[in-house]
Amino acid sequence: MNPHRTYEIRCPVHGFIAFNDWERQIISHPAFQRLRRIRQLAWTDQIYPGAMHTRFEHSLGVMHTATLLYDSIVRKAKDVLRNELGYDEAGFQRSRQVVRLSALLHDVGHSPFSHASEELFPEQEDGDGKYVHEQYSAAIVRGPLRDAIEDHKLNKANYGIKADRVAALIEGGAGAEQDIFWRDLISGQMDADRMDYLLRDSHHTGVHYGRFDLHRLISTVTAIPDTNGPPRLGIEYGGWHAAEALVLARYFMFTQVYFHKTRVAYDIHLREAMKVLLQGHFPKPLREELDEYMKWDDWRVLGLLAAGKGGEHGERLAKRDHYRLVFQTNEVQTEADRKKLTRVRECLGDLQAAEMPASKSWYKRSDGDIAVYSNEDGQKKVAPLSKYSNVVSHLGNNDQVLVYCLPERREEAAKKVEEAIHGLE
Amino acid sequence: MDWSELQDARLAVITEFVSRTPGGHVGRTALMKFCYLLQTVREVPLGYRFTLYSYGPFDSSVLSDLSTAETLGAVQSEVKFFSDTYSYQITKGESGDFVLRNGAKFLDKYRRDIDWVLEKFGSHTSADLELESTIVYVDREAAKRSEQLSVDQLSQLVRKVKPRFNEDRVRQNVRALLGMGLLKSC
Repeated sequence: MNPHRTYEIRCPVHGFIAFNDWERQIISHPAFQRLRRIRQLAWTDQIYPGAMHTRFEHSLGVMHTATLLYDSIVRKAKDVLRNELGYDEAGFQRSRQVVRLSALLHDVGHSPFSHASEELFPEQEDGDGKYVHEQYSAAIVRGPLRDAIEDHKLNKANYGIKADRVAALIEGGAGAEQDIFWRDLISGQMDADRMDYLLRDSHHTGVHYGRFDLHRLISTVTAIPDTNGPPRLGIEYGGWHAAEALVLARYFMFTQVYFHKTRVAYDIHLREAMKVLLQGHFPKPLREELDEYMKWDDWRVLGLLAAGKGGEHGERLAKRDHYRLVFQTNEVQTEADRKKLTRVRECLGDLQAAEMPASKSWYKRSDGDIAVYSNEDGQKKVAPLSKYSNVVSHLGNNDQVLVYCLPERREEAAKKVEEAIHGLE
Repeated sequence: MDWSELQDARLAVITEFVSRTPGGHVGRTALMKFCYLLQTVREVPLGYRFTLYSYGPFDSSVLSDLSTAETLGAVQSEVKFFSDTYSYQITKGESGDFVLRNGAKFLDKYRRDIDWVLEKFGSHTSADLELESTIVYVDREAAKRSEQLSVDQLSQLVRKVKPRFNEDRVRQNVRALLGMGLLKSC
């Protein structure tokens, strides 16, 4: 094999995605190929039938997008990065490769049906809450993928990148050293992950809400020096409308796709069916349990569900007999809305089958404002996007709560909700 | 605690920090680091999941909660501009007392811990808080790996993620935190 050969793969969003022989070996590894069997949007196809895409194509797209962002930032702010982070030319090349691998592998630890089953991750031993999928990704990078990352000729001859550094950038650890600066490209307000999934999910669901001008964003993203702290990722003044479109795309995709009432109901059923299949929770991302964890993928779950082993919720998934929405709060809640929700819960009693707050959705992550940088006639100015965008400044936090009942008790529950609301008026 | 009780508790803690920080206002960085120290050092169960960025430990859920607190009128934010940067000045809002009442039980239970964070760190600059919380984060990572580090070793690890701070300053801060009994690996 020629280690210097490059390859291309066709992507429905980005056209061709290029990768080298080293990355090809990582992509071909069974741990990465497993992502072909994990759907990006769980059971969203029950609402948007086109949403059958997988974490595999998304991961390639994130690597591609992260590289475009990285190259643009380095082109624009090389001196800032050189001064602040101490990179020389070889350092820039090496950190670029670390970013590519971290982007490629950031989702390699996903559980079946992506975020829908994440609530079944076990608790950490030290009381730090439940494990999250990034910790599984990091464990897989440090374990099964270590040799593929560290032993390729291209790496040994040019970079000397250790799996631990890639894992640290994925999960947010000090082992990433100065490359931690790039973590915002993997997980942040303007990360490659978000840019890719909005466009990809839009493409496959057939909605247009997630579209924004990716290339304008890439051409205007930069590293902004800050006298009080490390440089921050931001956008040049000319790109603020593109950044605004990204924020709006995320808002629309959340309300129209990710937090769609029926999609959320399927997430609830899947989680409950998975509890039965797992008889508790997933194995931990520890060396001795990782192999067992990686055996869990969509195929295995679907096989078990088809064999009737998913209990009541497995049945509901199979028969499309999902919970029905009986009440939803406003997206942006006031004091009165919170009181109304409390009253509805009291009136529904055991008629309430489940509830889901937007705050518990992974897609709800909000990473603050985007910095906008202008430099006109030598006058440098940095301001948050909300200072320029009237729309963004008025986009309140979405704290919507969806309340569900059993389909067979829908009328009864609806009457109770009506009584509860009437009683408050 | 179910999710809504947890949210009430978090909103109350944020409002409490905002209203009791010296000067009556706090920035986003300081608020983030106060929450980090409260959860990590004092082990107050806020349910946040902090991970490391170049600007220190961060969890976007803190900003989501801050935004909710703003919507409810519990706090209000104003942007302050400086020569090459900006920051937020967050103050208590008209509905602050409503949010504090909703989380009163939680606040009462952990009052001493909140007092402790404000007493020890309330007057520190955002740059200091960024460095101090990063030191605690790196220390906890090492402790998880059961590593025992010298002051110099911990300082070097911290400098690799925060190269803008000089060696003396990092070492001085490590020693100060060590003196307060806040480090586990050192």
